[in-house]
Amino acid sequence: MKPLLEIEDLKVTFDTRHGAVTALDSVSLSVNAGETLGVVGESGCGKSITALSVMGLVPSPPGRVAGGAIRLLGEDLTKATDARMRALRGAEMAMIFQEPMTSLNPVFTIGAQIAEAIMLHQDIGADGAMKAAVELLDRVGIPSAKARARDYPHQLSGGMRQRVMIAMAVSCQPKLLIADEPTTALDVTVQAQIFDLLNEIQRDFGAAIMLITHDMGAIAEMADRVAVMYAGRVIETGTADNVLDNPRHPYTRGLIDCIPNIAKTEGELREIPGVVPPLHLLGAGCAFAARCDSADARCLREKPALRDHGAHPAACHAVEEGRI
Amino acid sequence: MSVSFLLRRLFYGLILMVGVVILNFMLIRLAPGDPAMVIAGEMGGATDEILAQIRTDYGLDKPLMTQLWIYISGVAQGDLGQSFFFNQPVATLIAQRVLPTILLVITAQVLSIVIGVFLGVIAARKPNGILSGFVTVVATIGYAVPVFWTGIMLIVLFASIIPIFPVDGMQSMRLRGASFWVQALDVAHHLVLPALTLALIYLAQYARLSRASMMDVLGSDYIRTARAKGAGERAILFKHALRNAALPILTVAGMQFGNLISGALLVETVFNWPGMGRLAFDSILRRDYPTIMGVLFFASAMVVVANIITDLSYRWADPRLKGQ
Repeated sequence: MKPLLEIEDLKVTFDTRHGAVTALDSVSLSVNAGETLGVVGESGCGKSITALSVMGLVPSPPGRVAGGAIRLLGEDLTKATDARMRALRGAEMAMIFQEPMTSLNPVFTIGAQIAEAIMLHQDIGADGAMKAAVELLDRVGIPSAKARARDYPHQLSGGMRQRVMIAMAVSCQPKLLIADEPTTALDVTVQAQIFDLLNEIQRDFGAAIMLITHDMGAIAEMADRVAVMYAGRVIETGTADNVLDNPRHPYTRGLIDCIPNIAKTEGELREIPGVVPPLHLLGAGCAFAARCDSADARCLREKPALRDHGAHPAACHAVEEGRI
Repeated sequence: MSVSFLLRRLFYGLILMVGVVILNFMLIRLAPGDPAMVIAGEMGGATDEILAQIRTDYGLDKPLMTQLWIYISGVAQGDLGQSFFFNQPVATLIAQRVLPTILLVITAQVLSIVIGVFLGVIAARKPNGILSGFVTVVATIGYAVPVFWTGIMLIVLFASIIPIFPVDGMQSMRLRGASFWVQALDVAHHLVLPALTLALIYLAQYARLSRASMMDVLGSDYIRTARAKGAGERAILFKHALRNAALPILTVAGMQFGNLISGALLVETVFNWPGMGRLAFDSILRRDYPTIMGVLFFASAMVVVANIITDLSYRWADPRLKGQ
């Protein structure tokens, strides 16, 4: 079966005062219809840029798709016109953002904002769209939806606002729903509710979800497959079970080791030493080499490619050579 | 709720106006110069008896507080006193001139806001584009050039080089007695240059302000949300962004109204517009206290009303203020 979304060798650059910086370097991913792909990595690894590239929302300038292809149902979005992208955004693919507090327009009612999304893509009057908006609000678990539809965003809590964002995103039954850290800004109890809601929505609407997160716990709970990103590249990919139970790349192992274990009452919390290097300072070698215990001379010299070394693909010389 | 807000605002406005009346009265009395001498000078040959007679006639011999009380109780009954110079009730003098001034000020205000904001919005879309640079240059010139100079240059241009607009007065003599619409059109024709002169300074400011405000808003998360749901550029600029960018513009519009009125006094003098400006100018030169105070009273009243309108439009523009 052909995947719903296929990203192939995507390269995105940003013009900065350090010159053109490569934010995404030959990123390849695919999302099948109806499944959930988790994209995981630290801040600045390129996971949000990947999502924005699919939506055609990379701020340009300074950003630019410098190569590769993004195919949604076979159509290359990097070659689509602005008008075509507008027609696809909100209808075939939709996105939920990290900051529910600021992602809704403060001067319009939530009902009007959802109704607008519907009217942009469907031949429906204002009354019909508002009725549909109320149904959606009810569907995402907003109590007394009809009254709340007339509320402004500032009258709702963060969790409620994220529910509104989800209602808006699924209003035109998109085939692909991109959720960019949808729970990061929310309380832990609310996080679980939002994940439950996303699962329900996926079941009912049949949408594929591309879940972007830095939280391995969320991946374990939500994802069918995982892509781990580091410094603008995909460094490991596979089914969620495989990657979580049998991580290959030292970075993925580090991420999994970082999950606090409640059963373990002694010892310190684990961390990966160091930080993601600034993108303009990336050398010829593996971007993780400086933080990696298993790095040798080859790792500093040569970028590892994403290759299948047995269980699932990873981009690591040490794995390839069987050193770890 | 909104009615009680309006009533409260009107009540504050009333208190403010009482303060204005007292302050006006005091300020003018504190200025050097004897009005009795001025009045006598107009008639010629001032002996001490004539001066004493004038003081008695105009109540200038009474204690200051008594004069103030007489003035305030007069104002409360709509009596602004008798003009020393014109020898007519001040209220009548102002009533004859207030409409042309209001017409000029409001036309200039609407022109400067509509054109200025439109230019600013367009410029904000491409902050480094040609139009944006043009707006900045025009704004700087408009802000730096004194209003009487602009007026005189426009007169030179339209009186001798391309004589398509009248440059003197508010009506053509030969059209007196024509139908209402013909006269209205004639007034509008006369209004073009004075209103343009007055609008130019503020137009430039609104253009700069709305450019900055829009650039700020266009970087917001909710603008990205609007793009993500497939909204077009025009809807994003004029619907999603402008309403949010309107608050600082409204603030400045409210504050500028007072400046606009003082600007109108100069423009009226340059274009011989039959408004309060000419009256203010003449009464100041002639130390015609009651008329000066009357003009100040009306100008202050206009500013107070403008501020109430600003407060109301705030609440229209930003629903977050409604609950407060």
